[in-house]
Amino acid sequence: MDANDRTQGIDDGALVALWPGGANGVAAIDPARRPDTLDGKRIGFLWDYVFRGEEIFPVLQEAIDGAFEDVRFVGYDAFGSVFGGDEHAVLSRLPARLKELEVDAVITGIGC
Amino acid sequence: MPSVSLVCDGFIGQARALSRGLGFAGLPAARIVGHVDAQSAEEITHNLKSVTVDEVIHHLTMAPTPVGDAAEEAPADGIAARGTFDEVNRVFQERQWSDGLPIVPPTAEKVAAFLACIDDDPDRVIGVLQPSGSCATPRNVAINGVMANCRPEYMPVLVAIAEALADPGYGVEHSGDTTGGEALIILNGPVVGTLGFNCEGGALRDGYQANTSVGRFLRLYLRNVARFLPGGADKATFGNTWRVVLAENEAACEALGWPPLSADLGFEAGDSVVTISRFTSGGVVGSIFGGSAEAILPYLADGLVRQVSWELGFTVGFAPGTYRPLLVLSPLVANTLAKSGLSKRAVQEALFGQARLPAHKMEAYIGAWSNLVPGRQTLRQLVEAGQAEPHFAESDDPERLVPIVARPEDILLVVSGDPLRSNAYAFASNGMHGFPTSKRIRLMPK
Repeated sequence: MDANDRTQGIDDGALVALWPGGANGVAAIDPARRPDTLDGKRIGFLWDYVFRGEEIFPVLQEAIDGAFEDVRFVGYDAFGSVFGGDEHAVLSRLPARLKELEVDAVITGIGC
Repeated sequence: MPSVSLVCDGFIGQARALSRGLGFAGLPAARIVGHVDAQSAEEITHNLKSVTVDEVIHHLTMAPTPVGDAAEEAPADGIAARGTFDEVNRVFQERQWSDGLPIVPPTAEKVAAFLACIDDDPDRVIGVLQPSGSCATPRNVAINGVMANCRPEYMPVLVAIAEALADPGYGVEHSGDTTGGEALIILNGPVVGTLGFNCEGGALRDGYQANTSVGRFLRLYLRNVARFLPGGADKATFGNTWRVVLAENEAACEALGWPPLSADLGFEAGDSVVTISRFTSGGVVGSIFGGSAEAILPYLADGLVRQVSWELGFTVGFAPGTYRPLLVLSPLVANTLAKSGLSKRAVQEALFGQARLPAHKMEAYIGAWSNLVPGRQTLRQLVEAGQAEPHFAESDDPERLVPIVARPEDILLVVSGDPLRSNAYAFASNGMHGFPTSKRIRLMPK
């Protein structure tokens, strides 16, 4: 096979088909370092305001509060909905808002 | 910042598929057993305490391990398969690069012919498509266009479609949502005629190469570049087959004195424009009887109302003002409206006034029956919260009639189909999850 055959898509009489995907366009992000314990930490709740988060987050809060010392929580209303008409604005504000509220870790949902 | 996502059982695969595209090798997910919408309060509490809480604590205090699907890397030589037509197709089926029908093997020669029809850098990054986080480029547009059995001269249309997909306002990342709406490509301008798109009888039927293959291209591109695959990022409960391109009959529009859809959306009449939008369902408004606008508008309005239910959350509630239904009018039906003296805008106003349903029904669709509005808020509460236009709470009578859209211009109108038949077709919109997005088609200078 010569170079011209390759450009014609012919390889010893066979078809040579090109890959239909796209190259990766997203930089890899290293996971954040985890604390050894949630004692004394402030946990933020992020909600998409669907799929019963108003029932789920209180159950998680009660359980985590009972398992660790001096753990505090920031409710989802402090951030706004991460899904729906305001999602782009809420997400763009999120890094500053998390810093402003001194949040140490986030629980987000509901993926359903 | 350490984080954990709460994910129902049926969505763990989707979470893994999304992870790489966001740049994370292992985005931690804590399981929620089953699906929350089908459980009692007691069942949810029990499942959270027995499974989810432990997983949340684990993921917030232990280093994540890579769990996402490995990103598909391009082969170094860019070659996916070699062999006969059947052998190439077997590989493309096995690698999930096909929709189940035979593809045209995208050889370098065929791809080059497509790229020769645009004045563009083949490797220009049009945008990064989620959930894969992959780059859309004219080159992979051409490859998927070949596969779909497009002709090279369609290439400017295909590039415009990819540009619309990459527009953040379209919301391509939502294309795998569970309700399974499918994108529709609407075409305007001289390319309808010059490229041989059908805009008359069977306008939404396969059988015309331009309409059929360009529609197929969009679904292949979502599979192969954005990587919406069943079992992964595509969570359509049912879904439906890709739609052929809907081309507007601009000669009919001109005869009526109506602007084409592209002009309604801000383009110059005479521009060639592609518009894509996702629609959840559609149905014919058949055998429309009447010789005046007054006679036929109630039936057309009823056709729009019959298509919509839970999607009203895109009118009021979680994404207010993004519901954009589409009504396709045959030239005959459009003429009945026009000869009654109605401009296109006047038709939109009339449909806004008549395409209505009782307030209690709308509240049921978005609250009680679908749980899309937490707390089952009333329309009045949504108005007070800024999540609905004031006209949704003009009184507290549950039987009062409220519109299905926020504004008259939210109802999209297109003239197409058999010129001498008295039918229309109404589509329900998927709101901001495939919001109508238009791009001008850049044709090569002759």
